[in-house]
Amino acid sequence: MSPAIGVPAAVSSGDVAPGPSRPVRVAVAGLEPAGIAHLATLAMIPDCETVAVIDPDSRRARDAAGLGFKAPRFADVETLLAKLVPDALIASGPPDRHLAFAGPALAAGVSVLVDPPLAHTLESAEQLAALAQSHGARLACGHALAYEPVFHAAREALAGGALGALMRARCSIYRSDVFGPRQGWRFEPARSGGGVVANLAADLLFLLDWYLEAPIEVRATWKKLYGEVEDELHAMMRLRSGAEVGFDCSWSVPGYPRAAVVVELEGENGKLLASDDALELDLTSERGGQARGHTVRRRAELPPRARFDWDGEALYLQDASFLAWVTGGPPPPTELRAALRVQRVIDALYRSADQGGAPVEIAS
Amino acid sequence: MSPAALEAPRLLLGGDALQGAAGVPRDRSLELAARYHEPESLAVSLSKAVVAGADGVLATPTPQLRGALALLKQTVPIYALLPHPAAFRRDAADEGVAGVLRARARGAGFRVRVRHALARITHGWAAARGDLVGLVPLLLELEAPRVRDLRGIVLSARLTDLALAARHRRFFERYGRFVHARFGVVAGLETHNLGHLLRALREWSLHVDLVVGPVNPAGVRMKPTPAELLDELRQTRVPVLAKELRGGGAVPLLAGARYAKEQGVYGMVADLVDLEDLGGELRALRAMQN
Repeated sequence: MSPAIGVPAAVSSGDVAPGPSRPVRVAVAGLEPAGIAHLATLAMIPDCETVAVIDPDSRRARDAAGLGFKAPRFADVETLLAKLVPDALIASGPPDRHLAFAGPALAAGVSVLVDPPLAHTLESAEQLAALAQSHGARLACGHALAYEPVFHAAREALAGGALGALMRARCSIYRSDVFGPRQGWRFEPARSGGGVVANLAADLLFLLDWYLEAPIEVRATWKKLYGEVEDELHAMMRLRSGAEVGFDCSWSVPGYPRAAVVVELEGENGKLLASDDALELDLTSERGGQARGHTVRRRAELPPRARFDWDGEALYLQDASFLAWVTGGPPPPTELRAALRVQRVIDALYRSADQGGAPVEIAS
Repeated sequence: MSPAALEAPRLLLGGDALQGAAGVPRDRSLELAARYHEPESLAVSLSKAVVAGADGVLATPTPQLRGALALLKQTVPIYALLPHPAAFRRDAADEGVAGVLRARARGAGFRVRVRHALARITHGWAAARGDLVGLVPLLLELEAPRVRDLRGIVLSARLTDLALAARHRRFFERYGRFVHARFGVVAGLETHNLGHLLRALREWSLHVDLVVGPVNPAGVRMKPTPAELLDELRQTRVPVLAKELRGGGAVPLLAGARYAKEQGVYGMVADLVDLEDLGGELRALRAMQN
């Protein structure tokens, strides 16, 4: 007999998957691959029905139907709303379309989840925020990294005060993706809003905001290796406390077939290192429920909560948490105010890099 | 095609780690990449695995694998995991499944393009509608390896799980038939959502030659929940090969394998990343199967 028999201990009553508290009808706008991933995930969330898909391109709608996702298709959100009003809408695809997708839905009081970043420009993001606020509609941004178990656990440790006052931090995200000129909206700044920061590292900027606070000043440099958008960006950010945060991102480095994220924080009570593999704490004294000394919590040791795996747990947890909010549950950490702060940081990073690394202040 | 030719293997050496798969710690992934950078060292491991009792290798036919196979005098049974998971994820990020097909077709050699053109006659109509029923045969035609001892085609999890989420019963019905008719080998499905897939196959009264999915005492990646997955495992008639036996490093390999066996799995896949003593551990796993 093996030492572990039956249902693994990881599954306890406290590890229940989030989800809507009543049947919920959802529409998905933007049927690029990220939109298809949402369709797949929503199909596996109990009490969730995808009632419509929206895309101006009939070929993409046909492809989605060919994959087996056969919800009625609308060319735009206005036409959808004239026929039916869903409980929620997920806006995916190029950020320059987010306002066109999410705007009418928010104005109709529909809850909206937008794939990151909120929009391709700060101005457009602020318009979305104003619409959500004026119509009392829920708006969140899909910073899925917040739902990766290790990074979620790091937030819990920090919220408990394990590190004490922050002294310094550095973080990075790398992926092997772009090694030559590429076609597509991700590489057209007018549509995507930028390159590696807007398309990949926005989630990491959210983590910094969630873990620490929004920076008040940034200095950034970038490299545009293969086209109009940046392929690498390096920055220093200053927090209100005076602490400095180093930030590196690239999608043009070999050796990273999957995105690799590392966050290193040093506080008055010790250090925290969160990566895709594990959360490590090295504390000089017991604090916030965290033991003194060196502790490691590997990803495999963290309780699984998602009922469906789509390249990990995060997408399911993100969509299910959003739908829980839609049906009266608590707001997700990625709700409007946080997402808007991230968009302001993205805007500041790009302005600084465009000015050769000049300091750019961020209004709170 | 004799029934014996379609018999599912009991023990496979897995090559997930060679592709930087999810769940492999980065330092371990780098260590393996360095170790198997030269095809000679991979060839030695493949040879050792077969001698130790593995029925074959479950891996994506990368140049690295093909190079290693070419060095061996003996044949190594290959269960090809297709399409290449990392390349598929990268190419699909911009253009979706149909885009991957286009990218592969552009990069294919003359012979492969001819085979692809022939497959288009039978599957082009469905593929033009973006239907997995047409797209997957065309993708497999482009990616299926020409190796001496191809024993199986295993559809990688991203596509299996996409079809599963879409409840695309017709795809699952036809996939096996296509693989049998075209390649004459075992038709398998890899999934990261084993409980969901077994349930769907049971509800649809469908059979496939084998399913590969996570089973381990830590409950890692056992979806929808470990309890529901184990319940389906007890009911299924589909041969299930357990993978991720160590649960991301939470338990020793042999303890994970014993646990999976006790839950009724048909066989198992031991990945290179999980093997410290390749020959010894594979022999122990083989003994467990007998």
